[in-house]
Amino acid sequence: MSTKIKILLVEDDRNITNFISTTLEGNDYKVTTALTGREGVSLAASFCPDVILLDLGLPDIDGYEVLRQVRAWSRVPIIIISARTKESEKVTALDLGADDYITKPFGTAELMARIRTSLRHSRPATPDHIYRALNLEINFEKRQVRLSGEDIHLTQIEYQLLTLLAENSGRVLTYGHIMNTIWGPYMDAGNQILRVNMANIRRKIEKNPAQPQYVFTEIGIGYRMLENENV
Amino acid sequence: MNQRLRNLPLWKQHLYSLLFSITCMGVATGIALLYYEIVPENSYNIPLIFLLAIIIVSRYTVGYWHGLACCLFSVIWFNYRFTYPYFNLNFTLTGYPITFMVMAAIAVFTCAMTSHLAMQMDVIREREKQLAEVEMEKMRANLLRAVSHDLRTPLTGIIGNSSLILERGDLLTPEEKRTLIAHINEDSNWLLNMVENLLSITRIKGDNFSITTTEEPVEEVIAEALEKIKRRYPDTIVHAKIPEEFILLPMDAILIEQVTINLIGNAIEHSGSRDPIDLIVSATPETVSFTVRDYGVGIPQKKMENLFDGMPVSTSQTSDTHKGMGIGLSICKTIITAHQGTLIGRNHAEGAEFTFTLPRKQQTSERT
Repeated sequence: MSTKIKILLVEDDRNITNFISTTLEGNDYKVTTALTGREGVSLAASFCPDVILLDLGLPDIDGYEVLRQVRAWSRVPIIIISARTKESEKVTALDLGADDYITKPFGTAELMARIRTSLRHSRPATPDHIYRALNLEINFEKRQVRLSGEDIHLTQIEYQLLTLLAENSGRVLTYGHIMNTIWGPYMDAGNQILRVNMANIRRKIEKNPAQPQYVFTEIGIGYRMLENENV
Repeated sequence: MNQRLRNLPLWKQHLYSLLFSITCMGVATGIALLYYEIVPENSYNIPLIFLLAIIIVSRYTVGYWHGLACCLFSVIWFNYRFTYPYFNLNFTLTGYPITFMVMAAIAVFTCAMTSHLAMQMDVIREREKQLAEVEMEKMRANLLRAVSHDLRTPLTGIIGNSSLILERGDLLTPEEKRTLIAHINEDSNWLLNMVENLLSITRIKGDNFSITTTEEPVEEVIAEALEKIKRRYPDTIVHAKIPEEFILLPMDAILIEQVTINLIGNAIEHSGSRDPIDLIVSATPETVSFTVRDYGVGIPQKKMENLFDGMPVSTSQTSDTHKGMGIGLSICKTIITAHQGTLIGRNHAEGAEFTFTLPRKQQTSERT
């Protein structure tokens, strides 16, 4: 029996499916391709993939619809592959339950990294107690943040914000998701309070806020933290 | 007539004019009565008070009629109240028709001058609007021309190289094939960059070049631009210096990011130098300036004049002819103009530098 990780690719352009599946198979994944949205939904049920790569522009039903239908019963990681460049569309996909997105065109290295990140987050069997990347270390049990061995003092909100990003390191979290998690659903629509807190965090952990090493901005979408090396 | 009033419907303009006329006449009468109380023996100055009121009314009301009506009212009222016999009309006074005619003439002249002035203002405003439209049309035409030129060249390369591999693949050595494929890859990446630029332009809406701005932290925009630059040019070093304070600036962040990427990309590809590039952000209470400074050959003097016109760079200056900074800079200019900012390019002692400046408070998007 094959123990290869299974990937379902829902994408209608044959050139792209060809290139992606060749790449993935070369990296020892088992790939199945669906050319339409309906086929994608039914294969998601029968093939039991470990990761789904989903294109938003499909010929029969909208990518969002596929996302909704699969999310209705499955928590399998879904990575959106999209040629749509509007931030609002990416945010919609993420808020509908997609784990990550990658914009066409993309390099193979980027795709592989995203797949690895998604796979890791889909297996919460071993909860991380420590986040470690470059010189930054967060100890979730001791509630301690250290940079090059020095303690960093964060406010309550800043700590919550940083740990939320660290627990989801490598994935983009939308402004809306972060606002909801930290400040609750009754906060008014603006996200300036989030921006200001992030600016404060950056001043505490980054050498140069204009060239951050740990927390990256995806303009119009949200924040992404450097991948945890401690796995 | 002030501008605000002129934008109202006509009947409202007349209503305001009427109220204004009545007020003026009332005030004039009041002053005249007061004056008459104090110095009853000298009534020669009273017509002057009414004259002044008529001029004011003529200047600040629509059309001739309000001024003329006030004129008629003044003459009759003056006759009735301030000349002997009091509280009686007597049109047989010596010189009375002269008084009336002079006052009427002044009212007519003032009205004519005022409306002429207003008309001229309208003409000037209209001309300015047309000029702005021509300017935008020119920008668009330049952009299209630059696009067709700049897109064609890399496409030729891609088609040529790939056909060569398809048709004569068996005869080529692996190294030769690799070189051809590398060229295809390079050209496609350049095309991608161009497409991204063109896409960004679609965010600028319609004929009046308006954009949707939100308050964005400057450091985040810079950080993401630098992240993308690092991905595209992994070997290049950019030193970024931004103010310590947290700056929120109204902008379309994606567009400003694109401008930053274009300027840094140009500095990398056209400076002819591998020295680190400086990106310096500085803030004043009214504006925030972004400067990209390279330490290379500088901008050729003959390019200075139409730097932002979308013309391709002269082929003698650069090794790869198709990588013109044409479209890039012209798009930057368009974006910064839409933000009501300024973009300038100049040479400093050791290379070239481009600075764009954005206002911290966005004026109303309406252009007048």
